[in-house]
Amino acid sequence: MVMPRKSPLIHRIPRELRSDLGKYLVIFILLTASIGLVSGYLVAAESMITAYNDSFEKYHIEDGNFLLSKKANRSQIRKMEELGIQIYENFYREMPLDNGSTLRFFKDRTQINLPCLMKGRLPEKPGEIAIDRMYADNNHLRVGDQISCSSGTFTVTGLVALSDYSSLFQDNNDMMFDSILFGVSLVTAEEFDSWDPDTLRFSYSWSYNTPPRSEEEENELAEDMMKKINAIVSLESFTPRYTNQAIMFTGDDLGSDRAMMQVLLYIIVLIIAFVFRIIIQDTIQKESAVIGTLRASGYTKMELIRHYMASPVIITLISALIGNLLGYTFLKDFCAGLYYSSYSLPTYVTLWNSSAFFQTTVIPILIIMIICFFSLLGKLSLSPLSFLRKNLQRKKTRKAFPLSPRIPFFSRYHIRVILQNKGNYIMLFFGIIFANFLLIFGLALPSVLDHYQEGIGNNMLSKYQYILQFPMSAVKEDMKLEDLLSLILFYSDVETDVEDAEKFTAYSLSTLGEGRYKKEEISLYGIDKKSKYVPLDVTGDQVYISSSYAEKYKLQPGDTVTLKERYEDKTYHFTVSGIYDYEGSLCLFMSQNKLNDLVDLGSDYFSGYFSNQEIRDIDKKHLSTVIDYESLTKISRQLQKSMGSMMYLVDAFSVLIFIVLIYLMSKIIIEKNAQHISMSKILGYNNKEISRLYITSTTFVVIAFLLISLPLENALLRIIFEMFVMTSISGWIPYWLDPMIYVRMFLLGFGTYLVVALLEYKKIQKISMEEVLKNVE
Amino acid sequence: MFLQLDHIKKSYGTGDNATLVLKGIDLGLARGEFCVLLGPSGSGKSTLLNIIGGIDSMDSGTITIDGELMNQMKEKQLTRYRRTHLGYVFQSYNLIPNLTVRENIEVGAYLSKDPLPVDELLHVLGLYDHRNKLPNQLSGGQQQRTAIGRAVVKKPDILLCDEPTGALDYTTSKEILKLIETVNQTYKSTVIMVTHNDALKYMADRVISLKDGVITNNYLNENKLPAEELEW
Repeated sequence: MVMPRKSPLIHRIPRELRSDLGKYLVIFILLTASIGLVSGYLVAAESMITAYNDSFEKYHIEDGNFLLSKKANRSQIRKMEELGIQIYENFYREMPLDNGSTLRFFKDRTQINLPCLMKGRLPEKPGEIAIDRMYADNNHLRVGDQISCSSGTFTVTGLVALSDYSSLFQDNNDMMFDSILFGVSLVTAEEFDSWDPDTLRFSYSWSYNTPPRSEEEENELAEDMMKKINAIVSLESFTPRYTNQAIMFTGDDLGSDRAMMQVLLYIIVLIIAFVFRIIIQDTIQKESAVIGTLRASGYTKMELIRHYMASPVIITLISALIGNLLGYTFLKDFCAGLYYSSYSLPTYVTLWNSSAFFQTTVIPILIIMIICFFSLLGKLSLSPLSFLRKNLQRKKTRKAFPLSPRIPFFSRYHIRVILQNKGNYIMLFFGIIFANFLLIFGLALPSVLDHYQEGIGNNMLSKYQYILQFPMSAVKEDMKLEDLLSLILFYSDVETDVEDAEKFTAYSLSTLGEGRYKKEEISLYGIDKKSKYVPLDVTGDQVYISSSYAEKYKLQPGDTVTLKERYEDKTYHFTVSGIYDYEGSLCLFMSQNKLNDLVDLGSDYFSGYFSNQEIRDIDKKHLSTVIDYESLTKISRQLQKSMGSMMYLVDAFSVLIFIVLIYLMSKIIIEKNAQHISMSKILGYNNKEISRLYITSTTFVVIAFLLISLPLENALLRIIFEMFVMTSISGWIPYWLDPMIYVRMFLLGFGTYLVVALLEYKKIQKISMEEVLKNVE
Repeated sequence: MFLQLDHIKKSYGTGDNATLVLKGIDLGLARGEFCVLLGPSGSGKSTLLNIIGGIDSMDSGTITIDGELMNQMKEKQLTRYRRTHLGYVFQSYNLIPNLTVRENIEVGAYLSKDPLPVDELLHVLGLYDHRNKLPNQLSGGQQQRTAIGRAVVKKPDILLCDEPTGALDYTTSKEILKLIETVNQTYKSTVIMVTHNDALKYMADRVISLKDGVITNNYLNENKLPAEELEW
């Protein structure tokens, strides 16, 4: 077999790369960093997802859980198990720690929701404790440290990931988990059993004897079972696994980042492809006569296309290979660290990810190849003679753009330079838009969250909202005498002497989860007609919605909202009378009587207190939730924690892209104008004047582009952010950008440009007068 | 005739701006003939060369090379025609700046299934000692010799030279002319050389003079001189 001969043009490639090392090196670094990061992210995500998915079986994660106000007896357990499930006790106790956080204590698990030991060992004797790894990280706790609470002091013997708490949701109704102020832990059975049963929460986990075959079946099974279990015991809460955020949130979120990272990579690759396109066009312009000679000698278009495509493809290939290598080693650990900073995941094993390799190697190369190919095909379609004559314009410029002679000479010259390089400047515009978008993305989130937190602080209904832990028996249809007595007793126990306290009724309904919105909980507040905390006219049928509800669902007075019972098909329709300025949660306000009537709670029913003073005279066991500043800002705190490091990365990356693009574009523009610059020198212009002519033009353009891009990016980010909050988060965070961010972005962009301009100024000084004589016939 | 041109017409521009640069050229060249195309600027000699070279189109007429009609060739066939039959030498060398002398010649050798041995050619061109130099390390004459080497290494049937000495001094020009003469004699390539320099007609087998797109003179040179003896 005769091997095809190698084109001698191949020798040019390494020399070409060496001769323009600066340019190619920055492209290489940018591509390698992007590919490496995305590869690392995808590999870490895939490995994490696999570890997460495997954890269901490996750690025997429950199919659901329910909470009872008192321990179920054997007969009740037996009756429940006759429904086709296995019941496991998963009791816990919550205690505030001296560090201000709350820790949930479980007995060491042996049957269900098994723990993954990440470090140290499990507790073996009283006084020892294993705590959640992420909670430990966030509170700077290590193995060997001691933690204190009202029950005593515990020595941390190990760090664990509890398989049913991969996201540390304290309450399944929370908008967001809180891994800083809430954690889970394991103590020995001996220790746990020694605690007063009155302090325990009676949580039971279940697993199906015959697992449901589909999500629909699981849904039906759970809804049916809830009714049947509620007939056996008094349910306080009922949470099938698929609705348990502590288990499912991680899985939903792990996958969602991947698409974003891939899109980010492809945008970067596209920009690089267009940078290559500009470089290629510039090279073709420079080598026009050589190309003409080669074509005249018989080189085919395809041979030359292959040749000019080689450098971009080789750089992309090497970047992809090294990027993947870095992705599978250092960057994978870094990206896994990002996941570990958000979720309490078990240990993972790095898995070979062919799809990640395809996405970070094959697709970038294909993008570069396709764009370079068509760009070259268009350019090289000109006749050999056009190349020999250096006439590469398809359309001849018939007339110069008219500029009034009244415009000062230097200004006219600047305009001519801009017009001559308009193609490169258009590319620069897109580059600035993209780089600045990344930057605004990195800078905006802390601003949004700070504003949200500040807004919540200034806009709370009351400093404290106490929600009572109501016995389920109170809402039973077939209430027995003992239920009635316990209810009367409960009411007398939850009276307070705090004058500031104001009773209200709270009830939860669910949205329908239509369109792009996911199902979420809406709080209904039944308030006193003369409420001092929610000063609204709620006489008659007036129903108000919170401003956050209105913003998220784009609601206005006169609109009708439909909500439904969470575990039933019953729906309610409300006509919005007005909007109440409250951003803390998605809620409806109406008179207490109306709400009590609506959901048949009884005219004297109330479910909690608004108060600006702390209520201390109600036993904590009668309180289900205390809504204060800390609980309302949980979501922003957690987002800041889990996305903070990612944002720094995005900031650094956007600055890098910005530098690279400005550097490349300015370099190409200067190179393209080297002959003119050289000629200007011959004519007697000094370096300063020449820099004014060429760099000032680019400076004007950069300033204009920076200013134009800011409102565009703000608008774009607002759309993306609101879409994200609408579809991914329960509740609402309004988009708000600190005006100082514009200033910072402009200064950062312009500062970056100045550094590049300084480098270019030095380059202009180096352009010799011989340049004009080179390659000129 | 090895190369036959009949009624070649060519104009540039359209409508009122159209300029007829070739007004019906008829000529024939024998294989291995050395032809010099003379004429003042704008006479159409480079256009004629480019049409023969298949890099410019004609409005009408026919070109036959070795019995093959060029008019009917599509772009791919034209490229193959140039690859197989033609070598080009330009006034401005057009060497690839980041390839050495040897590699620049290999660029031409790559196009042929049976190229000349590159080292042997380097000796003939007097470039063997400079084979590893880049074009910018060479004199103008050495660069033009490299360009000639690139054109002849593939053993073209026709060597087209467009003002090959236009940018060179007297001594270097003579060296280049001697080289082209050697190529013509050694490799039996038909040479068509476009020049302003009237003195070069003495080294040609055939002299064709063009003026305003018309052949004003076409004759065989009976007193051919070696390039060495040319004076101008």
